[in-house]
Amino acid sequence: MGYTIFVIRKVRPEDRLWPKKIGNLGRGAPKQLWYGGKWGDRLFEKCAAVVGSRRMTEYGRRVLEKLVPMLVNGGWTIVSGMMYGTDQYAHRLTMDCGGKTVGVLGYGIKYQGIMNDDLGFMNMIIDSGGLILSEWEDQAGTLWTFPMRDRIMAALAQEIYVTEAAIKSGALITAEWGKKLGRKVWAVPGPITSRVSEGTNKIITEGWATMWVPEMEDQKAPGRLSDSNNTDIYSLLQNETLKIDEIARKLSMQVAEVGSRLTMMQMTGEVEEKNGKYYLPVNRQRAPDK
Amino acid sequence: MLVKVRSVAYVGLVPVPVEVEVDVAAQGFPGMTVVGLAGKAVEEARERVKTAINNSGMDFPPKKITVNLAPADLPKDGGAYDLPIAVGILMASGQIQISNDKFTNGIYYGELSLDGSLRATKGVLLVGLYAKQKSPVPNHKPQIYVPIESANEAAVVEGINVFPVRNLKELADHLNEVKLIEPLNHLDVEEMVEGSPVDFDLAEVAGQEQAKRALTIAAAGGHNLLMWGPPGTGKTMLARAMPGILPPLSPAEALEVTRIYSVAGLLETGESLMRRRPFRSPHHGISAAGMVGGGTNPLPGEVSLAHLGVLFLDEMAEFPRSVLEGLRQPMEDGRVGIVRAAAHVEYPASFSLVAAVNPCPCGYLGHPHKECKCTEKQIRKYRARMSGPILDRIDLHVNVPMVEIEKLQITNDKSQNASSKEIRDKVVAVRKMQEKRFLEEGIFTNSQMRNKQVKKFGQLDAETGRLLRLAVEKFDLSARAYFRLIKVARTIADLAGEENIRTRHMAEALQYKQIT
Repeated sequence: MGYTIFVIRKVRPEDRLWPKKIGNLGRGAPKQLWYGGKWGDRLFEKCAAVVGSRRMTEYGRRVLEKLVPMLVNGGWTIVSGMMYGTDQYAHRLTMDCGGKTVGVLGYGIKYQGIMNDDLGFMNMIIDSGGLILSEWEDQAGTLWTFPMRDRIMAALAQEIYVTEAAIKSGALITAEWGKKLGRKVWAVPGPITSRVSEGTNKIITEGWATMWVPEMEDQKAPGRLSDSNNTDIYSLLQNETLKIDEIARKLSMQVAEVGSRLTMMQMTGEVEEKNGKYYLPVNRQRAPDK
Repeated sequence: MLVKVRSVAYVGLVPVPVEVEVDVAAQGFPGMTVVGLAGKAVEEARERVKTAINNSGMDFPPKKITVNLAPADLPKDGGAYDLPIAVGILMASGQIQISNDKFTNGIYYGELSLDGSLRATKGVLLVGLYAKQKSPVPNHKPQIYVPIESANEAAVVEGINVFPVRNLKELADHLNEVKLIEPLNHLDVEEMVEGSPVDFDLAEVAGQEQAKRALTIAAAGGHNLLMWGPPGTGKTMLARAMPGILPPLSPAEALEVTRIYSVAGLLETGESLMRRRPFRSPHHGISAAGMVGGGTNPLPGEVSLAHLGVLFLDEMAEFPRSVLEGLRQPMEDGRVGIVRAAAHVEYPASFSLVAAVNPCPCGYLGHPHKECKCTEKQIRKYRARMSGPILDRIDLHVNVPMVEIEKLQITNDKSQNASSKEIRDKVVAVRKMQEKRFLEEGIFTNSQMRNKQVKKFGQLDAETGRLLRLAVEKFDLSARAYFRLIKVARTIADLAGEENIRTRHMAEALQYKQIT
């Protein structure tokens, strides 16, 4: 493969770079941290953990697309767990928005069993100015290493955002560590029918996580975002994501024509498509920023 | 005494004359030998012929009988030589005496039962076609003697006499002019092809407007189609409706399809013609030989049985890679070559491919209510199974999402759905346009265009070209995808009855780009 293995360094508690917040863990704090990438002085100054299920649903994906750009705009460093699903998508979005991101591994940083895909992804994070962290050198990833990793994520962050979590999940463990350490915990409410929203809904109900909903201002007035006459499709999609057949039926139009117009709207970035469903991109739903 | 009787073998779909020479020697130890690369089934003809003659109230001569099947180097198999061997023996022993000129030079073909009756035998249509080609006696119609149950197959061949034979005794009486067998009336293919009903009507499928549109485009331009969607959304029903919206078989096409089914022995007893476009839907457990054809004397596989019809691969990702790879040649050339030790045969295999896949291994990715249990890695692995050469040859990709019935009932009036008949009329018109366009190119449909022809017939105006370039960039499309899109846009423009591809046609074509 075309990437190079990054340089691995180590910090100890006595080093200048050692993040003080790790000290909150007390006796449970790691003895050292291995890392790859450039450890900027201010990297952990304003730091939010974004965690969620490995089995990210369509809903979870859309939540991240709203949440992560806002955090990055607010100058937050995004910490997550480098796992496929929510974690990696959060990292990716952060990089896309030009933010800094820190991946905390649930296994040793030199572990031989790291998948090629993951290695490539780590290199992307490092190239974007982010950091890869682990408390182990060559520990294999097993049942107990991932919950251990979660405590580091919770310790590093001031705020923790849980987008999706099942009742028994690593994301919830991170949230619980955050509660113990006195971090601000946010949870995104989800459909009551979805298993991966049971955990988030539960911790909101229990009261120790704050419900996170995006700011609502100005949803109604997108202004003239479209220079074409696609306002009919546009106003349909403001309320919900729709399949092409549904759009055609609601507007009583031929599916051929709707398809042709949706493609044009896709080209201008007015709508986006995923798995056959159309929706408005996040930046179009909110008012023009600032 | 030596007698020669004509019969027919076939290699692939090509009939080959076989001469059955029977010698009943005046002296020698009684017995019967068959020579001439006879297969096991032909070897066993000895017992069948002997018993059948005895059971027909005639005598099997207790003499030394030698049967030679010429040409000697052509392997022969199957029960079809029973009849010519039996007739040869009866003639050589004087029990059949052909005095009338009319009855010499008949072609005999069919398997005997022990009681002397004839059993349905495959390949009878080929015998008829061969007889028509090679008429030995100028003044007489060529004649064939075939089992009564399969005789209808040959009745569609014009200009020959097809004698349906019930049993050996009747045939002997006929040839001895004791009691004649009436030849079958000629069946008019054109009449039979017309008015063939449609199996599945598209109007019965609720919702799925985009998928139906894609099906229409696929039928009109001869494109291959891939449907993505969770289980139970009607993918199979849509595919089944495909033969009904393709143009009806022309008489020549119907004969071509029937030939294949005749050789494969898949024509129903008494049936004379494949009147409808075939629909084949092999299970994903199929072997490579089952798909492309195989066997010592290679029989047609699914790709050939789907010739001029629809090959439907449900759960395409589950098919073994080797089987999918085998589709490349037929998809490219419309024919398939099978090489075996005994023979090298070629079967036509020009089909419309309609494939269906689940969006992920569990099938519920993107489902409105059910949760998908697959990890991203599983999904990637699943999709990678079909990547490559086959996907490259599929022009149309379409999502077939779960339909929420409540929503449908509110908004969808069933009577508004276009019926298969209406769609077919449109498809026929568009096919005619294409035939005219490609008159000098040696192809028939938009999907068959080579890149050079795409450049010639798929010219884009400035704005449309710009749209396509933008799309290539935005969706990261390959060069091959670029040409595919123009072909699809060409068909969409044809469906709209327009000479030039316009921006809106290209925009619609982009709806059917590859789903990654």
